[in-house]
Amino acid sequence: MTKRKYCFEDFAPGDVWDIPGPVLTQQEIVEFASQFDPQSFHVDEEAALRSPYGGLIASGWHTVSICMRLVCDRYLLKTASFGSPGVEHLRWLAPVRPGDRLLLRLTVIEAKISRSKPDRGSVLHRWEVFNQKDELVMTMEGWGIFARRQHAAGA
Amino acid sequence: MEIKYYWEDFVPGWQYVSPAHVMTEREMLGFAREYDTQVYHTDPEGAKATAFGGLIASGWQTCSIGMRLMCDGYLLETSCMGSPGLDELRWFKPVRPGDALRLRSTVVEQTPSAKNPTRGTVKFTWEVLNQANDVVCLMVGRQHYRRRAPAQ
Repeated sequence: MTKRKYCFEDFAPGDVWDIPGPVLTQQEIVEFASQFDPQSFHVDEEAALRSPYGGLIASGWHTVSICMRLVCDRYLLKTASFGSPGVEHLRWLAPVRPGDRLLLRLTVIEAKISRSKPDRGSVLHRWEVFNQKDELVMTMEGWGIFARRQHAAGA
Repeated sequence: MEIKYYWEDFVPGWQYVSPAHVMTEREMLGFAREYDTQVYHTDPEGAKATAFGGLIASGWQTCSIGMRLMCDGYLLETSCMGSPGLDELRWFKPVRPGDALRLRSTVVEQTPSAKNPTRGTVKFTWEVLNQANDVVCLMVGRQHYRRRAPAQ
């Protein structure tokens, strides 16, 4: 079991973490989309050229899934977490293309102790995803539920 | 693929319910080991000791499966040009191996583009249902579609 390093108390409003991400290859863009989102501009290079995007772009679900992995690797696996009830204001602002390098910026917007379950608290993070040209390609706001430090063993 | 459905076809109240996709442990582990490596998604044994009491699918996989059901059901035969995003996304219930997921798409709102007479936007609710008819995941979002005929 991974050591619990982070708890509710470690996420304070205003905290910003930048997490460098991978360079996306055409092969992985097509592979993900072939499985989950086979719209022509995600899977077919020729058709994508004729689409409004002018070339192949990643499924938005692929972009967000890659960011989920970044969050897992950066802190979530070392956090006493109870999962997430959901996300608000998910926006795919600009296409992600083969060769793009992603960076995830996490900002804590809000952190509140649960009224009904005082052993835990909810943290609202803004996720901002930038490409190598510093263009914002995706944003969302997501809740995570984390154990408070004195109760972390139970999570 | 031939386009059969355009922006005009997605009138408020339009609804589609997909056939079921049965989730296997193998595909859940495959997705989670790549994208969402939390123990209750990647380790059937370790998951038993968590608050979920067993292996559950990554919420992002549930969304992605919903996307695939939409593609197979109708989206690839539409003039869809992509989505600007979701207003809301909720994971209400865990998805476990053997669960049979269906997608229910419902049109909430149909808006012509203010700038481009050849396009419009449709607001949907996309619900992922399990075999007990529970809504396990709810998405409220928009897609852009080309119009069959430009606005006059």
